[in-house]
Formats: sequence, structure tokens, C-alpha cells
Amino acid sequence: MKRQRAKKSLMYLLVWFTVALFSLPLLVMVSGSLKTSGQLTRDPYGLWPDGWNWGNYPEALASLPFLVYLSNTLLLCAGCVIGTTLSCALAAYGLSRVNWSGRRWMFGLVIATMLLPWHITMIPRFVLISELGLYNSLWAIVLPTFLGDAFFIFLLRQFFMTIPESLLDAGRMDGLSPWGLFWKVVIPLSKPALATVALFQFVTTWNDFGGPLLYLSDPQKFPLAYGLERFVSAYGDQTNLLLAAATLFTLPMILIFFLAQKTFIQGISTTGIKG
Amino acid sequence: MSGKRLPPTETAAGWLFCLPWIIGFLALFVWPFFASAWWSFCQYDMVNPPRWVGGSNYGRLASDLVTQQGFGQALTNTLYYSLLSVPLSVILGVLLAVLLSAPLRGQAIYRTLVFLPSVIPVVAASILWLWLLNPESGMVNYLLSWVGVPPQNWLNQARPAISMETMEMIRQGGMVSSFKLFGSKDALVLMSLWGVGNFVVIYLAAISDIPRSLYEAAEMDGASPGRKLLHVTLPMLSPIIFFNLVMGLIRSVQTFTSIYILSEGTGAPAGSLKLISLELFLSAFSDLEMGYASAMALLLFIGLALATLLLFRTSRYWVHYRMVA
Repeated sequence: MKRQRAKKSLMYLLVWFTVALFSLPLLVMVSGSLKTSGQLTRDPYGLWPDGWNWGNYPEALASLPFLVYLSNTLLLCAGCVIGTTLSCALAAYGLSRVNWSGRRWMFGLVIATMLLPWHITMIPRFVLISELGLYNSLWAIVLPTFLGDAFFIFLLRQFFMTIPESLLDAGRMDGLSPWGLFWKVVIPLSKPALATVALFQFVTTWNDFGGPLLYLSDPQKFPLAYGLERFVSAYGDQTNLLLAAATLFTLPMILIFFLAQKTFIQGISTTGIKG
Repeated sequence: MSGKRLPPTETAAGWLFCLPWIIGFLALFVWPFFASAWWSFCQYDMVNPPRWVGGSNYGRLASDLVTQQGFGQALTNTLYYSLLSVPLSVILGVLLAVLLSAPLRGQAIYRTLVFLPSVIPVVAASILWLWLLNPESGMVNYLLSWVGVPPQNWLNQARPAISMETMEMIRQGGMVSSFKLFGSKDALVLMSLWGVGNFVVIYLAAISDIPRSLYEAAEMDGASPGRKLLHVTLPMLSPIIFFNLVMGLIRSVQTFTSIYILSEGTGAPAGSLKLISLELFLSAFSDLEMGYASAMALLLFIGLALATLLLFRTSRYWVHYRMVA
């Protein structure tokens, strides 16, 4: 019994140590964002700032066109969430609950696109987007989401497969076409799965750096993720401001995570991906 | 599955529902793939039309490989990073999942805190790690000093450098007050390990799916916790470990945002953070060498496909698929 107790204590110590190590960087970020640059030099390691210097936040916001970046980010997020949810739900339905002979191999193709690294499609996609006149437009990033995404199609298809055939049959009895079944039966039953897709896409777009780097050149169109990188180059030595900006940029993600923790965890463990 | 099947109009409906994806597949995958393959044999700057140059782009890649410039250096960097970060994240991920599935009070909180770093946007995480890895006042060196490790240069140093004097001192068993063991890519590995929570979540889900009866049977046979881990947990997790190895490999090769921000888009110091993804981006969009970059992309794709295939071939020796559904 005593040995059991000792082992248990050891486990607790190990877990606490690990958790502390994983949490430490975030604590450094938040506490650093509340120090003056003088405090940061004098005492870089202290986690409890002496005197809460909230002024870093307005100062960081003022040094980048925060509202412009934020509204661009939100526009991108809205467009991409609508695009992905719609296009992936359509394809996932076609690949699961519409009975046609092509759906098996087409699903295979969907999965195959997951294995293609972005490097090989990057240049031609850039040429295509430029040819369409979408360079330096938010549509360059939004438009492709209207054309489906393998991970989300996979996730939605798995969910659609669990809808009982009897419910679909009932709809068919009522004379619903596949289109009607999709909107009146499948979509209303799939709100949790659709919410997962919307959430993941929101997070992906919020974090996306490569897209804006590639397609946007006008600072008036930059989203936060890209604008923040510009901020690093310009204010590289003002760590307290950088940390304040990084904290602000992170905060919505942490909030979303805590509000939708279950959705997050389930989404990741069913598909093995992150947003 | 119900037995009765529906009229052939369903076929039309199937195609129509998949239409957006099919357009995307053709425009964003099929055409780009073949265009890339074609341009890899051309000189192409996006202003003038592509001009056929035969295999000269590949010749350049081959000579880069020999001289360890450009592509050669980027390939070595990528291999270094992937071969270190992927296995380490699998090992750390499994260990953390085992630890966090033990029945401890506050388990949910611990799980949340370990996962939390992976919801931090890469851009913010990179800014944060620039500070954490600061050689003079970063938290990482501070913690290492507690266990007697001298300050490391991290992002300011291309590769580990141990001087002859240090070697001599180590050999004589003397106190070593300065050795630089870790460079920029090790910093990158450290940062990627911080985000291992994703994998942990997947392993946790898999561990909770392992039937209790297997552990009970092992206990009946008097198996120690170590043996249970080795003979029950690991074999049962092996399909997931395999999946994460493949996905981790693909993901690590595609690492881009963090290296771009950590090196301000240059791959500095001394090109040590130039992974293939950054080298390719720079060749294409700052040197406007689309042909050369396309050849690089094609080689990368082939290399990745071969590595994945190799993993699949080895999987039959160590991945246990459950026989009972």
C-alpha cells in the first residue's frame, strides 16, 4: 500500500513538472506583455510583473493599423468558413449518401489530395490566381475554399455515414429529391459536424500566414497574421510590445478553444488533424 | 445498409454534389501537378512564357546537392529537422498520453494545459519563441542553467559547435563552462515539441479505446506497468503511431511559417533555417526561378512519396491491426 502511495506521488510530481514546462512559455508571453522594456531587461525571468503595465497593449495596437488588419482577418475568416462548410458538405454528401457508382474511387481521389505537399501546386496556383486577376485580392484566399478540402470532406463524410438510412427513407417517402434530402434532412442533423468544420476553418484562416504572404501586397489588405510578422521586422527590439501583440492575436484562439473544447478535441481525434 | 437501391438519376446527383470539389481537384491539384512537372524542364520567370531547357534545372539541383549550396543545404536541413522532430514528437506524444491517462486528480486540467500550446497561432508562437530562445535573457537558457548547461546560442547559431579546447576539457574531465551544443534547427525542434498536444489528443483517444480486459489479462499474468506499456499499450497504439509518423513527416517537411518568421524570411543564420519549403519559396518568388523551383518541388514530392512508401513497407513488421472489429 505504501509503495502504491509513493508511486502515486511520483506520478503527480512528474505530471506537474510536465504541465509546468508546457505552460511556462504562455506565462512568459503574458507576463512579458505587461512589463515595461526596462523591467524586461532588469528582470527577464520573473513571471509576476511588478506593476501591471497595461499600456503596452494600446501602444502595440497603435503601432499597427490594428482595425484594418482585424477587419481583413474577419472578412477572410467569414468567406473561408462559408466556402469550406458549403463545398465540403456538398461533396461529403455526394460521397456518402447519394448512391452512385463513382463515389468510391472519387473518395479515394479526395484522400489522395491530402498526401500532395503544397510545394508542388504552389507556383501553378499562383499563376492561376494571377491570371484570374485575383492577385492582391482577398478572393485569392477565399475562392479556393469554395472548391472543397479533403480533410473536412473526410470529417463530414464520416459523420453523414452515421445518419440512419430510415430517416433518409422517410424523406424519400415524402418525395424529397437528393437535393431536398440534403437541405431538409442531412444538414439539420449534422450541425455539430458542420460546427466542427466551421470552427477549424476559422482557426486555420485566422492563423494563415502563407496565403497572405503569397497573394497580398497591399498593406491595406493584410490580415493580422501577416501584419504581425511585419511588426516583428519593424519592432524587433521592443519585446514587450511584440509580446503584447502576440498575446492579443492569441487570445481569441484561446477563448474559442475554451468555449468549444469538446468540438476541438473530438474533431482532432476523429481526423487526426489540427486546425 | 438497406437492400433496395435507387434510380440512376442518383448518378447525376452524385456528380453534381461533387462538382465544386471536382473543379477544385482539376484546377488546384491536377493541372498544377502537371504544370509543375512541365515547368521543371523550363526556364520560367512568370513574365515571359516558359522556355524548354531540358534537364538543366535538375542538373543544377544535382550540383547543389554535391556542393551543399541552395537545394543541397536545404535538403540536409530538412532531413535534420524531420529526422529529429518526427520521432521525438511521437515518443514524447505517447509518453505524455500514457501519463495523462493515468487516473490522477485534475486530469482534465493537465490535459488541457498540455494541449493549449497547439492552439497558439504559429505567428504568435514564433514571436514568443524568439524571446524564449534569446541567448542573453531567454527563459530556455535560464532553465538550462539550473541543470548546469551553459548558455546556448539557439537561433543565432547555424549548427552545434564544440571547439577543440572544449573537447580537450571534456576529455580531461574538467568543468566545461561553455559549449554550444544547440543551434537554430534544434530550436525549431524544441518549438515543434511544444506543440505536441495535437498528437497527445489523438493518442489519448486511442488509449481510451483499448479494452480494459487486455490490461486485466496482463495483470493476471503478473505484468509490471512497464511490461503492460510494452506489450499492451504500444502494440494497440501502433496503427495510430504509424498514422502520426506519416502525417508528422508530411507536416514537418511542409514547415514554413515558423522558419519564415524566426529568420525574417531569409533562412538565417547562415542558411541553417532554410528548409526546402523556404528555399523553394525564395527561388520562386524572390529569384523568379519558377522552373528551378518546380524541379525542386517535384523532387520533394517524389522523395516524400518514397519515404511514405518505405514507412508503409516497414509497417507490416511493427503495426498491429486489431483482428476483431
